[in-house]
Amino acid sequence: MPQIILKNITKRFGKSVAVDNLDLVIDDREFITLLGPSGCGKTTTLRMIAGLETPTEGDIYIDDICVFSADRGIDISPDKRNVGFLFQNYALWPHMTVYKNISFGLENMKWDKERIHKRVFELLEMLRIEEYSDRYPSELSGGQQQRVAIARTLSTGPKVLFMDEPLSNLDAKLRMEMRTELKRLHAETDSTFVYVTHDQLEAMTLSTKICLLRKGVLQQYTTPLEIYHNPTNLFVADFVGSPNINMLEVVGESVNLDEVKLTHGQIKMLFVPTSSSITVTKGQKLLLGIRPENIVITKDGPLTGKIYSTLPSGMETIVKIDVNGLLFTSVVFGGVDFFMGEQVRISFTSEYIILLDKTTEINIATGKLV
Amino acid sequence: MNYTNRFKSFIKKPHNIILVSLACILTYLTIVPMITIIMDTFTVHQAELMRVKGAQVGDFTLYHWAKVLFSSASRKIFYEPFLNTMAVSLGTCFIAISLGGFVAWLVTRTNLRFKGFLSTLFIFPYIMPSWTLAMAWLNFFKNSLVGGSPGLFTAFTGIETANWFAYGPFPIVVVLGLHYAPFAYILIGGILRNMDANLEEAALLLKASRAKIMRKITIPIVMPAMLSTFLLVFSSAMSAFAVPAFLGTPVRYQVLTTQMFRTLNGLNPGYGYIIALIMIAIGMLILGINQKLVGSRKSFTTITGKSSNIALINLHSLRTPLSLFFVIFIGIVCIVPIASFTIESFIKEPGNYSLNNLTTLFWVGAGSPVIANGEPGILRNPAVFRGLWNSIRLSVSVAFFAGSLGILAGYAIVKKKNTKLSVYVNNLSFFPYLMPSMAFGAVYLSMFAVKRGFIPPLYGSFVLLVLVGTVKYLPFASRASIGAMYQLSNEIEEAATIQGIGWWKRMLKIIFPIQKSSFISGYLLPFISCMRELSLFILLVTPSTRILTTMLFQYNEKGWNQYANAINLLIVLFVVLSNVIVNRLTGASIDKGIGGQ
Repeated sequence: MPQIILKNITKRFGKSVAVDNLDLVIDDREFITLLGPSGCGKTTTLRMIAGLETPTEGDIYIDDICVFSADRGIDISPDKRNVGFLFQNYALWPHMTVYKNISFGLENMKWDKERIHKRVFELLEMLRIEEYSDRYPSELSGGQQQRVAIARTLSTGPKVLFMDEPLSNLDAKLRMEMRTELKRLHAETDSTFVYVTHDQLEAMTLSTKICLLRKGVLQQYTTPLEIYHNPTNLFVADFVGSPNINMLEVVGESVNLDEVKLTHGQIKMLFVPTSSSITVTKGQKLLLGIRPENIVITKDGPLTGKIYSTLPSGMETIVKIDVNGLLFTSVVFGGVDFFMGEQVRISFTSEYIILLDKTTEINIATGKLV
Repeated sequence: MNYTNRFKSFIKKPHNIILVSLACILTYLTIVPMITIIMDTFTVHQAELMRVKGAQVGDFTLYHWAKVLFSSASRKIFYEPFLNTMAVSLGTCFIAISLGGFVAWLVTRTNLRFKGFLSTLFIFPYIMPSWTLAMAWLNFFKNSLVGGSPGLFTAFTGIETANWFAYGPFPIVVVLGLHYAPFAYILIGGILRNMDANLEEAALLLKASRAKIMRKITIPIVMPAMLSTFLLVFSSAMSAFAVPAFLGTPVRYQVLTTQMFRTLNGLNPGYGYIIALIMIAIGMLILGINQKLVGSRKSFTTITGKSSNIALINLHSLRTPLSLFFVIFIGIVCIVPIASFTIESFIKEPGNYSLNNLTTLFWVGAGSPVIANGEPGILRNPAVFRGLWNSIRLSVSVAFFAGSLGILAGYAIVKKKNTKLSVYVNNLSFFPYLMPSMAFGAVYLSMFAVKRGFIPPLYGSFVLLVLVGTVKYLPFASRASIGAMYQLSNEIEEAATIQGIGWWKRMLKIIFPIQKSSFISGYLLPFISCMRELSLFILLVTPSTRILTTMLFQYNEKGWNQYANAINLLIVLFVVLSNVIVNRLTGASIDKGIGGQ
């Protein structure tokens, strides 16, 4: 049962802190994404678990074995940690054929030739690149190189697989295809995947849990849908979801027993928390977060606005609506389109409306508008 | 489109005009000399009239070929020097690559200390003239074989150095090896720095041992660069003249270049031309092999990675000793020679290192009739100043012409890459690199001694020196510029073209500023090479065009040791200082010029 545990991991490069006091438990067979904008320390974290980078402080356990401890001076080298690593640029060896690239790791494990041959072709077949076994990496396309890199990483059957933005060098279509295959791979191989990406869509669609980092500090570590519906702070709310969440600046006041009156100029709303009850001081500045799909264009909506822009893609249309100088983003499903400047009425629906404190930017409640 | 229109649109593009003009000029300045050499190997020269019976000057003859390759004298004339050259070149490659490669690996891949200091100073032996170390060697280890005074080592220890240690192949290989080690360091270091560390990490994660990673991953990937370094060092070592002349002559150890100097200057120019031709042929063979290797399908040039990710290898307990060792070693190689020139130039009676034997005579003395025919000290010697002035204006002119032509060549070659014309000009602009300097000088001597078309006889003129220097050093400039242009995407220039900005302005305001440091490196390298060049000019200078290096050689031949040392010090200081100044001011550097990154 390989479980990966990070305890108080800190990494400093000179004076700058890349990863700050990170605690993380990755359970067996999970598909974890380390998500965050570039420079947030996600690659560094991955490389530290793999043993390619040395943490400044903290302990790392893989499968209950301490592989790194700054205090006890333990630092097990990467080759003894039984992990696979898929590099962003694939790092295929240019002087070896596809076959040699894949068989290299097996040779290191002293397998006999026949077994190696069988295993290599099994992998080539699985990744559908049998016909390229005698080619050199420079003779393959990006997608093919990617598959070879995956085959090489899988060859030794590691129980833990690390991937560092493996899809970022592929074009959009191929990326989509590889996402599906990675997910299948995860199901088929029974391994734990730890995946680094800056693409929130990739994180949302692939992982069982997302670990969102910002400037080396853990923001939230939970399932994709939980992160989507219940982000811990403004940064998370804003980073996850495309198109971005709408943020409306409001002034709050607790009313009745457990309701909050929200005011934004002429707009007045009543917020009912569904998480836990909250108290808002009168005049407290708040942010109301509404996902685009929760803004609906209806004939009897309470607010009137003008269509500012529209981006139809066939399956859905992303509409920006100007309500007295405030821009709302809405998603309308189906092949509908609007005219620029058209008058529409909108309303806010459903739960999963988020209320944040404006100064601390922390999520204080989720709930619905009535 | 008809031919006229096609021609018109062709000629409208500046890079086409550059390519066509360069193709014509370079054909005349490299291919024609080549043909001249071939013809010279079949021609009777003035000096050979006595030997080739009944022949007139200019007659066709097979005498030279027969004598050099198939006679009882061939062994002495050709085969022995040939084998010596091969041995010396191989030995040089071995030392240069193992030392340079090792230091490159230490600097790029381990946690060695003093990296900045080491990587700056390690290039010095290459910046200094190659004979610097040879002269230093003699200053230290000279024994009584050549007569005169013993070297510092013998003077202080009383131990007479052995002949094999003081002269001949051993010191030649050591000195040339040290001289070219920085070259290997720059090239291999560039590759190591560019090589994606992920390639090694991937192997590590697949449980390969450090030794196996080295053997199966690192070395094979660096191999093409190592081989091309090997070939470049080999051809440079092969055409080295000054070092074997200094260190080999006392024990009559002849290599092809020294043999060429003797025969061209002596009674058998025909022999010399044959030797030159053979050396060029070897050079071309090397170039061919090199291009084959670089163009192979395993090429990894497409792969680049985040080199910032490199995890340095911890040297543990070896860290401090290794670091100190290299600091001391490089200190010895760089500083001790200079110190020895300084000491030697202040000593009145050679070999006597006591304090009361010190004199400033050779620097500022008025000259005394008992020493060196009353030659005044070099700082009061108008001839030395004329030589210095000649050296400077020659180097500046050569750098200007070679550098500018190189930029144009690089620009046009890259713009039209993969066309026949571009490949042709590319090869031509590299070709002079393969011509042994002395043979090149010899050919220009014979080519331009008479009026050629509209070109007046140039022998004895300063123009001839500039011409030969420009062509010879064009490869440095064009390689630097080609490298720089490849890094520059075409769109950058096109963006300006679309806005209607003229070609000159595009070159001066956009292309040059972006790749400034590489282009200036293309000026710097010819400048420095020219400043320290001896064999290229040695056959071409006349008393009025004498330059510092040829004066140094003459003083040395006359045995006026202190003058030679003083002049050498002057050259070394001048070259090193100008390199440091240019480097500080513009960021240009020698390494960029020879293809390091």
